[in-house]
Amino acid sequence: MRRWLLPLAVAGLVVLGIGALVAARQPAPVLTRDEQAARLAGELRCPDCQGLSVAESHTAAADAIRAEIAEQLAAGRSVDEVRQHFVNRYGQWILLQPADPLVWLLPLVVIAAGVGLFAWWLLGQRQSPSQPEAAGETDAPLMVDDEARRTVRDELEALDG
Amino acid sequence: MRTLASSRWRWLVVPLLAIPLGWLLFQGLGRDPRSIPSPLIGKPLPALAGPTLDSGSFDDASLAGRPAVINVWAAYCVPCRAEHGMLRDLVAQHGDELSVIGVMYQTGEDAARDFRDRYGSGWTELTDPGGRTALDLGVTGPPETFFVDADGIVRYRHIGPLTTDVLREQLAAVGVDL
Repeated sequence: MRRWLLPLAVAGLVVLGIGALVAARQPAPVLTRDEQAARLAGELRCPDCQGLSVAESHTAAADAIRAEIAEQLAAGRSVDEVRQHFVNRYGQWILLQPADPLVWLLPLVVIAAGVGLFAWWLLGQRQSPSQPEAAGETDAPLMVDDEARRTVRDELEALDG
Repeated sequence: MRTLASSRWRWLVVPLLAIPLGWLLFQGLGRDPRSIPSPLIGKPLPALAGPTLDSGSFDDASLAGRPAVINVWAAYCVPCRAEHGMLRDLVAQHGDELSVIGVMYQTGEDAARDFRDRYGSGWTELTDPGGRTALDLGVTGPPETFFVDADGIVRYRHIGPLTTDVLREQLAAVGVDL
């Protein structure tokens, strides 16, 4: 029974994960071309602004990008293809949300490492003060030989007497 | 029981944290925060075409077989003034070895003519109406200069005003010795 637990748990997690992925992808509403263009413009950085998306800006470069998006979508290219078109020219920099998964995972890794280190430190704190005692108790077992018996008996007699 | 925390490896925690962090921070020292690496480097120059300031039209077939310098500038850009002087000298002395192409960035034709009369001209100037050429080059703001080798491959993108050192070094890399 027990050896089935781990595979079962893993299988359950995989099913849950796939379910979550499917659920996350499912409600992809059908967008009109204008909505697609507006959404993509919101994902792209305006090249000659400070921290604004193309959708939020009306500089000449933002206007040019919007025109290019509209033109390419009208020519039948997909949103992903148009996004890639800009990444090919500007690099990942043009995306306001980086596509590199490492960027998203790194903070989680750092937090997990921090929690792990803290737990380690906490365990160490709890364990170390009790250690000297433990060492004393378990140190070499008492030796009771004849000489010891004799000493005890002599001292007891001395007390009695 | 001996825990990890009390083991003799405990001292390793500090170097294990400090060395990667130190390395990361040290890497940043040599980096210019203003330079955004261009994905065009090592790739063919995007197609350049369109109307020119002298009412002609440009086709990048005319670049074939020679190194090229593509300079993106604007009339409002102050460092572009000195740069135009350098480009004028370059064209005068090495115009037979390379092509220089100017790309006007958000600049009207009258302002461009005025600027060129004052600070330097002598090379083909794309007016780039609508800014599409600048988009194709991934330009973030003038001045930007692209160095293209004789095979049409982009070798370097310089953001900011050109210096004689940059010009000499990057032209040498595309096969033109000053």
